[in-house]
Amino acid sequence: MKEKLEQIKAKGLEQIKNVKTIAELEEVRKELTGKKSELSEVLKSMKDLSPEEKKSTGMLATEIKKSFENTLQLKEEEIIDSMSVLDEPIDLTLPGKKVAGGALHPITQMKYDLNDAFLSLGFEVYSEDDISSEKYAFDNLNFAKNHPARQSMDTYWIEGTEEKEGTDRLCLRPHLTGGSVRYLLKHGAPARFVYPGEVYRNETTDARHERAFFQYEALIVDKNISFSSGIVMIQTILEKVFGRKIKTRMREGFFPFTEPGYEIDMECLVCGGKGCKVCNHNGWIEVMPGGVIHPNVLKSANLDPEVWTGFYINIGLDRLVMMRYGVDDVRLFHSGDLRFLKQFK
Amino acid sequence: MKVSLNLIRKYIDLPEGLTDEQIAYDMTLRTVEVDEVENIKQKFHDIVVGKILEVKEHPNADRLRICNVDIGEAEPVQIVCGGSNLYEGEYVVVSKPGAEVVWHGQGEPVKVSKTKMRGEVSCGMICAASEVYLGDFYPDENETEIIDLKGFECKPGDNVADLFGMTDTVLEIDNKSLSNRPDLWGHYGIARELSAIYDVPLKELQEFNIERDLPKYNVEIKDTEKCNRYIAVEIDGIDNRKSPMWMQSLLSKIGQRPINAIVDITNYVMFAVGQPLHAFDKTHVSGEKIIVRNAENGEELLLLDNNTIKLTTDDLVICDERDAMGLAGIRGGKKDSILPDTKGIVLEVANFSADTIRQTGKRFAEKTDAAIRYEKGLDTQRVKEGADLALRLIKEIFPESRIIKYTDVYPNETKKNKIKVSEEFLDTRLGKKIPQEKIKQILTSLGYELSYKNGEYDITVPTWRSTGDVTIKDDVMGDIARILSFDSFEAKPITITFEHSVKQNDVLLERRIKEYLAERCGFYEIFTYPWIEEKYIKSAGIDMEKSIKLATPPAPDLAYLRSSLIPAMLEAISKNLRYYDEFKLFDYEEVYKKGDYRPSSNDEILPIQNNYLTGCIVGKNAKEIFYEAKGVIENMARYCHMEEIKLEKIEKPSWADINAYLNITKNDETIGTVGLLSVKVMTETKIKRTNVAIFEINCDKFVPYASRTNEYEKLPGLPLVEKDLSILANEEITWKQIEESIKSKVKEVEFVDEYRGNQIPEGKKSITLKVKILNEGTTMTSEQINERINSILKVLDKKCGAKLREE
Repeated sequence: MKEKLEQIKAKGLEQIKNVKTIAELEEVRKELTGKKSELSEVLKSMKDLSPEEKKSTGMLATEIKKSFENTLQLKEEEIIDSMSVLDEPIDLTLPGKKVAGGALHPITQMKYDLNDAFLSLGFEVYSEDDISSEKYAFDNLNFAKNHPARQSMDTYWIEGTEEKEGTDRLCLRPHLTGGSVRYLLKHGAPARFVYPGEVYRNETTDARHERAFFQYEALIVDKNISFSSGIVMIQTILEKVFGRKIKTRMREGFFPFTEPGYEIDMECLVCGGKGCKVCNHNGWIEVMPGGVIHPNVLKSANLDPEVWTGFYINIGLDRLVMMRYGVDDVRLFHSGDLRFLKQFK
Repeated sequence: MKVSLNLIRKYIDLPEGLTDEQIAYDMTLRTVEVDEVENIKQKFHDIVVGKILEVKEHPNADRLRICNVDIGEAEPVQIVCGGSNLYEGEYVVVSKPGAEVVWHGQGEPVKVSKTKMRGEVSCGMICAASEVYLGDFYPDENETEIIDLKGFECKPGDNVADLFGMTDTVLEIDNKSLSNRPDLWGHYGIARELSAIYDVPLKELQEFNIERDLPKYNVEIKDTEKCNRYIAVEIDGIDNRKSPMWMQSLLSKIGQRPINAIVDITNYVMFAVGQPLHAFDKTHVSGEKIIVRNAENGEELLLLDNNTIKLTTDDLVICDERDAMGLAGIRGGKKDSILPDTKGIVLEVANFSADTIRQTGKRFAEKTDAAIRYEKGLDTQRVKEGADLALRLIKEIFPESRIIKYTDVYPNETKKNKIKVSEEFLDTRLGKKIPQEKIKQILTSLGYELSYKNGEYDITVPTWRSTGDVTIKDDVMGDIARILSFDSFEAKPITITFEHSVKQNDVLLERRIKEYLAERCGFYEIFTYPWIEEKYIKSAGIDMEKSIKLATPPAPDLAYLRSSLIPAMLEAISKNLRYYDEFKLFDYEEVYKKGDYRPSSNDEILPIQNNYLTGCIVGKNAKEIFYEAKGVIENMARYCHMEEIKLEKIEKPSWADINAYLNITKNDETIGTVGLLSVKVMTETKIKRTNVAIFEINCDKFVPYASRTNEYEKLPGLPLVEKDLSILANEEITWKQIEESIKSKVKEVEFVDEYRGNQIPEGKKSITLKVKILNEGTTMTSEQINERINSILKVLDKKCGAKLREE
């Protein structure tokens, strides 16, 4: 009897071992542990045995059944582990399904990045309209009456107003700075705000020159502050744009609406300041002008220059984006060309 | 402007151990931008004196000679040369292999190498002047002539740069950075800046003593507003000789071609002290009298280049008793040239008003060096400095010359500006305390006079900074800051006082809209120009009457400024169709219309300017893209957190398809449109084989919510019962009618599908809708559900004539 059981066991375990699928497994399970299994048959024939034999054979049979059940359980787990939801091969190198395309213009991306940085410093965002007047674009900003920028060779004047002057002479704004006085007239001081936007100049265009381009300007007006705080704003911008601290220098510059004015250069990122073609071999690239707001500009904004002071910085967004990504033609920004725009995420 | 450091060193002793690059850097940071540092001698490496020992015929070439030349090395070298003036014993300029020369004086420098010419070895070149940067010294050089160094003290092997004084460093300064500094347009002014930067003394300019009782030259200034000072000196004993080598080489290095001694002296003085001057041949001045007056309207002047210009009363002319000889401070006329037979001159050293020069200067495309200086505003004191330097140089170069007459007519003197600057002002604005000694040193070096009392400086501005440059205390502070170098000030942290957080809903809304379109709806943002090509405006059917025009547009057909973003979008679509079949673009910018808009003050009336948004979806299936565009608009308010906008058919915009358009409204005001582009517009703009859904909205009409407006509804206890129904309805029945008819009977109704086809009778359509019914209290039995559905179908039949489709 015992030998028979051992035989059943050996045969059964061998059967389980050879099972490949869950269906086969169920088949084998029935065969080995079901009511009609050999094991059951053996147990049924036990009635002719002595009590001791009954006991020991019974124990052995139960043990075998347990062993079958355990082995089946393990086999089942083994089969499930090796199963795939796929019933055919899959090429993992095929491209994934496209998500909806679309992107902000790279200039807008840069603008929003800078807005975020300046918002964290408590700046407001302001925007002036595209069309302004000579008073706001030039007179308020301490431009001399005969400054060349006032000529139609430089500024786009609106037809019918070009021979007039002051508030009657209208133009597409040649810079953002006019907006600073508009803001200050409306909100007064102290103030800290940025005013990004597009400006327009009558120029011949080429890969480095545009008639319409984007600037980002910031102004702080407060009491008793020093121009040297301007450096913090500059660092903020560059760190935001390039993701790390960028070496800068501040040097003498001149603008009608500042006194003193300065130019800010950043280390040339192409050559690391050693000098290359991009930086005209001097290791520095001019990135932004800035300066202390001229007392005459404060007066235009109805603010007392004895009480208030402040400083500007202005940055060319086109130039910054070009430097950031190595874009070699400024005209691409207005091209509306998807081959260009799709490159920006 | 080019600055010779050799000439600078005449005026100051630069600190020792300073490299030229450091000087350029220090100047760039503190005064003006130096574009380039040019080491002049560097160009002359391997260019040496040679002595021709022997000249032989070339066996294979008629025009070439073979020269045996001593170039100061152990052995003489053989050089093949085509020069027409070769002779034995001649001292010549030899460029050895490795030297860089300009072939025939044209193009970029090329490296000389040992070569064979028609079979004969040539170890270098015997050079013509223009080939070795010396063309200025040999203006009459014949093409085949090489430099003959006769008269120079030299020996073979000497570097040629030394012979011509080409041992110098020249700084190229960006003229733009000089535009506000009239005092820096001469070397002396630059030297003054360096004296302040390095704290070294500036040498005084020497005066020239005029004999007391000289007769006066007759000068009459008729318009004393425009001419502030006029020194006229009549000098005899002049001829057409060349200026000395040192002067020629200085002029050559700073980009001025030497001509003759008198012209060179006037140029030299202008570049040394920044004062323009002019020499007339004295015999050309009729009546020995100079008159400075306004031109008459229509008066004509013959210029040196033989062009005649017509003058107006705004132009100031220098005249003799008969007629005009030149335009004051700008350029001379034909009549006044210095000629080979000139024996005596009248030297003009004058000061003219900047405005006059600028006004008249506009007539000419190119500004003369004199005009550039005058229009910046020169001080009148400089006139004497210029005259003194010129007279000293004339005496030096023409020792036999005699001053016959001298006049100084001086109607207006440049007054020194006076400014008070408090110490406290300087401390706060500079952000740190600068010792009084340092302030005194900086300002005194720059020519300011100052005294200090009770915390305040009494400052007198030098004349050369008093012509508009320095007028207020901020200017003085700026001078101190820049000489210390802006870079030397530590960044002061910006302090913030939190009164309120920055929350600008309109600014945020713009961003939400752009991000919604780009990130959720898959649009690419474009930027377009404000001036629009006329053909696109016409194609879009936009009324140009309301548009603003530019006085001087970038091109004749770009005069109109946008009153709608549609035309520019059409252009972008048609261009992108070359590369893509399907795409989505949007453009968010200002548009302009005639009107009355006063953003800042009542006196300023601007056109109406609004932020508009346009977007397009380009694709083949017209209906699909229309509904996609409609969906973009319908969902905008929800995702951009702004007040509801609605869509209804009110009025067809010029560019839209006759059937497929909807107006966008807010509070019953039409603020935009969405629609398919009409066949007409697509034909005109060459948009082919595709369709375009387009929308345009005035975003200034949007009202952003101040915060999110989500609403919470308690979750239903039991699941909704959903049922899809396919019904047949007449074509005229709209979805809206269907939806409205059963709204009250269901919890929700959704559109699933619309179908026309074989199984559907003509004039009908099949619509599938999903209705969701709420369990009331308990789970509904299937009978209850059927009962509800039947009642829905009954309503649909009654109100819309729609029947359940037989499957």
